[in-house]
Amino acid sequence: MNGQIVLSARDLGVRYKRRGGLFRPPRYHQAFRGLTFDLYQGETLALTGRNGAGKSTLLKVLAGILRPDEGRLINHGVTVSLLSLQAGFDPELPGTDNALLSAMLLGYTRAQARASLSRIAAFSELGAFMDEPVKTYSSGMRARLGFSVAMFLSPDVLLIDEALAVGDRSFREKAEREMNKKIHSLQTVVLVSHSESQIEKLADRVIDLQSLGGRHVL
Amino acid sequence: MAESLSPTPSPPPEHDRRLAPRDAFQWAFDAQAARQWQQAARRWATLRAVYPDHPPVWIQAAVALRELGSHDEARHLLAEARARFETHPGGWVQGANTALADGDTALAARLLEEARQRFPDDPPVWVRSAHLALATGDREGALRFNRHARDAFPEWAPAFDQHAELAMAAGDWDSARQRWAEVRRRFPDHPPGYRRAAEVEERQGRHREARRLRLAEEHGLDWLEESDPAEPPAVAPPRRRDGRNFIDLVWTKARLNLKSEANRNHLRYLWWVIDPLSYMAVFYVVFGLLLNRGGEGFVAYLLTGLVPFQWFAKTVQHASNTIVEGRGLMNQVRISPLFFPLVAVVQNAGKQTLVFLMLAVFLLLYGLAPTVHWLALVPVVLVQLLLMVGVGCGLAMIIPFVRDLINLVPTGLQFLLFASGVFYTLDTIPERWRDLFMVNPLANLLHQYRLILLDHQWPDWSQLGWLTLGCVIGLVVVILAYRRLEGVFPRVVVE
Repeated sequence: MNGQIVLSARDLGVRYKRRGGLFRPPRYHQAFRGLTFDLYQGETLALTGRNGAGKSTLLKVLAGILRPDEGRLINHGVTVSLLSLQAGFDPELPGTDNALLSAMLLGYTRAQARASLSRIAAFSELGAFMDEPVKTYSSGMRARLGFSVAMFLSPDVLLIDEALAVGDRSFREKAEREMNKKIHSLQTVVLVSHSESQIEKLADRVIDLQSLGGRHVL
Repeated sequence: MAESLSPTPSPPPEHDRRLAPRDAFQWAFDAQAARQWQQAARRWATLRAVYPDHPPVWIQAAVALRELGSHDEARHLLAEARARFETHPGGWVQGANTALADGDTALAARLLEEARQRFPDDPPVWVRSAHLALATGDREGALRFNRHARDAFPEWAPAFDQHAELAMAAGDWDSARQRWAEVRRRFPDHPPGYRRAAEVEERQGRHREARRLRLAEEHGLDWLEESDPAEPPAVAPPRRRDGRNFIDLVWTKARLNLKSEANRNHLRYLWWVIDPLSYMAVFYVVFGLLLNRGGEGFVAYLLTGLVPFQWFAKTVQHASNTIVEGRGLMNQVRISPLFFPLVAVVQNAGKQTLVFLMLAVFLLLYGLAPTVHWLALVPVVLVQLLLMVGVGCGLAMIIPFVRDLINLVPTGLQFLLFASGVFYTLDTIPERWRDLFMVNPLANLLHQYRLILLDHQWPDWSQLGWLTLGCVIGLVVVILAYRRLEGVFPRVVVE
């Protein structure tokens, strides 16, 4: 794993305001602090730590969604995106419209989204349901559509937040199969997982956020 | 080592109450599978007393004893097995294994030689022969026996495993990799093809490839082939959406929101007509018929003010809370927060076109036919759009930080309704207050609408120009503020 560095984190720290307002002093929850690491081209990095350690927060920082309170994140010219399932779904709209919209929100252009629609429909195995409003879907069907949309996106760095359990058993297997395929292509992946076996199977390197933060500070 | 197990079929006698041999032997095989050799040896000894006519009680017993280190005993049992079951290769094959374990290669070679002559159709005989040849340093011989095994029994995986293992033993990793690939091709469900191949990759420091092979054991051969790293990426997203795609996204979202809104009602799109129509009707009835105030043409005056005002009010009301409402999406994908209020502006503009059409119809029926001045509606409407974008985005930006403000928005709009001259004409305002009144951008805009629609005049271009300048400056400030706050909103909206 001595590829190029694609992302560098330097002394990253994020804290959330837990409470406080006009008349009360604010209290903060420090998700993590002083986090420094490099992400290399092609590697699979796993983030572990108990709930609240800041795993998902770190993913958001890496994705450029959140700006860190301390330190900085240097992007060496790569595209980064968070694997978001069902982003922007509207239950009143049919599956096709939702797939189009969700794809565009994830970063597809309209033309790319249109061109991918048939593949998305085929992968989700929803058939004629694609033209029905999403509110008529079961949660499993919704998850399938969401996964199928995200599936075809290939940023340079893919961030995954324990989102692999989708749909019924057979679809879950299919999803996991595709996900593992993605992880094992040349793509760089940062993965949040609680499953030791999954980390063992997939990750080149592990960062344990538990040891780094989760402190409550005034 | 559990080869050649098939017990000779000998149907038990009529009154035999013994277990069927196969079931009884399972008892000992279980111990063997758990590698409890002591226990296995004892169980086989017990079984030998009851089923002396079955090969496993001799041969498998010897296997267990050999594992325990009792080679002499094992040898004795195997010799007995060879004497008793001349048609069963197990005695020879295990005999050779035991001899090899003892270091007696001559005996092993003699036994396997005999076995090859007696049982040329038994695959393990050939694989063991290759094994022995390798153990004695005869690589050539090992390959020869192995090739025979592969040629004669192409359906038998261990022969192919051995082929690859031979390459691994010789340290020939390239051949080993190819041979394991051959194993996978022929026997896709055979675990060693993945596991041992992964070890080959590990040896060469290719950990990633090793992991890929281990995962492939779970997902199958097709997966391995599909996941070939050479496959081109599906859709590569941009680092940052460019302006065109952003506008396209806002447009698509607004369009789909309208569709979604329509889907919620039975009368669907008809509501976009009914709603403003009923609203206008109320004002017409109250002010035009019941109060009958304002004199001639008051209803037209009222509606030309009310329609643009309602557009403004609805848009601002809608846009002001959009960033807070967009918290889910904002935390899922990277998107400029401007997206949320802009969608509200476009969505309301879409509905407003119908309302303007109805206003035009009303004016026509009212006797105020279109003139060339109506062309000036285009810049006036554009300025109003600019104003709404500025105010909507500005409010949407502030409200996440001061949530309480959302409660003041309706009141503020109400105040604006009365401060913009919807219900009264400009000349009812004292002269000295008029300039101040016109500073209110909405009052200014309504005045321009009326100049065009009621007085059939061109708008006051200088006023409109100042207004545009004000809107543009405001908008630039708002956009700069958004730039600074982009990475902050996702956290503020969930706090």
